[in-house]
Amino acid sequence: MALPNQQQVDYPSFKLVIVGDGGTGKTTFVKRHLTGEFEKKYEPTIGVEVHPLDFHTNCGKIRFYCWDTAGQEKFGGLRDGYYIHGQCAIIMFDVTARLTYKNVPTWHRDLCRVCENIPIVLCGNKIDVKNRQVKAKMVTFHRKKNLQYYEISAKSNYNFEKPFLYLARKLAGDQNLHFVESPALAPPEVQIDLAQQQLHEQELAAAAAQPLPDDDDESLD
Amino acid sequence: MASNDPERREEEEAGETAAGEDEDTGAQIAPIVRLEEVAVTTGEEDEGVLLDLKAKLYRFDKEGNQWKERGTGSVKILKHKETGKVRLVMRQVKTLKICANHLILPSIKLQEHAGNDKSCVWHATDFSDGELKDETFCIRFGSVDNCKLFMETVEKQAEAAGKKEEKESKEADSAAGELDKLSVGETKVEEKAKEEAPTAADEKESDSTETKAA
Repeated sequence: MALPNQQQVDYPSFKLVIVGDGGTGKTTFVKRHLTGEFEKKYEPTIGVEVHPLDFHTNCGKIRFYCWDTAGQEKFGGLRDGYYIHGQCAIIMFDVTARLTYKNVPTWHRDLCRVCENIPIVLCGNKIDVKNRQVKAKMVTFHRKKNLQYYEISAKSNYNFEKPFLYLARKLAGDQNLHFVESPALAPPEVQIDLAQQQLHEQELAAAAAQPLPDDDDESLD
Repeated sequence: MASNDPERREEEEAGETAAGEDEDTGAQIAPIVRLEEVAVTTGEEDEGVLLDLKAKLYRFDKEGNQWKERGTGSVKILKHKETGKVRLVMRQVKTLKICANHLILPSIKLQEHAGNDKSCVWHATDFSDGELKDETFCIRFGSVDNCKLFMETVEKQAEAAGKKEEKESKEADSAAGELDKLSVGETKVEEKAKEEAPTAADEKESDSTETKAA
């Protein structure tokens, strides 16, 4: 379900509610999928931010309207209002902060009070960090409440597609649904004049001098 | 069965994580949509692959004066089998979304990144989202060799595109030259047409190029 002022699309769309304690990485995870970037800076979400996120599957294009909610109580706002008509959900905790896992049952209870019988994925984020406080073995809540569980890292992209894939499969009732290439349309011809080109070259030189944000080559071998 | 041996215990834990990875512990829930399988089009069907390498792509955020990650996946240089046009297409691994899609134009200038010899930077008018956007990109490879290979391939294709463009404009020029001779003859007869001649020649030029090509 989209916001009233949000454009409707002619392909299936789902309201996805993302909850969990502040600082567990909900916004970073959504941003990662939207633009590819990894935001290190922490800026608490106020209220809720809704982002449309499209995926191409073997069953056509689908859209999640991601309701990225404030984790911090003081910025929470109208919780029940955000949850209403939610069709699927992600509950996020931080494996490096025990308290965020302890609070998972509260998030789950609040969510289920409004949204009954929706597919829910529990995500343990930041598994790239060496000293984790919540080990995989200690995570048992999903078994008690019949949720799906994934260990993820928004930083390294480990399992980053799994929560969306799982939810899409459940919503469509198709275990074989998978992501496929989105069509790469032929780029139109562009005319670049000399002045523009000179400007680009200046910008390029300045950009080339700026360091890259990370230096992890593991995934490139 | 739990073991007291700490090493054994770690192994068990690791085993459990690996097994638990794709185990479905979720509740049975009635689906809310019914989707039919559709034919998949990559948009790359009529192109040959000149290069395909694993890489990480960044875009320059001018406002923040910093590089931001765009995606990790395979970068391809593709050549169209009919038009001969060459483009760069990069897709994010797993989700297969497009993180770069632009033509390799003769004007493209690649430059090494100052602090990293496995990476290079360039400017492009990118069409990833289906609308043209000016972007400054940086790409990082797993090795210096792959970076060199990428730079050489792009530069070679840019040069080829330049030659192709030059040839086409020469053909157009010579066609225009012949038309000029014709129009000189005509102006002698009709002096009034002098000022209009360039426009007329332009029109004829494109006509005659088409004839030549055919």
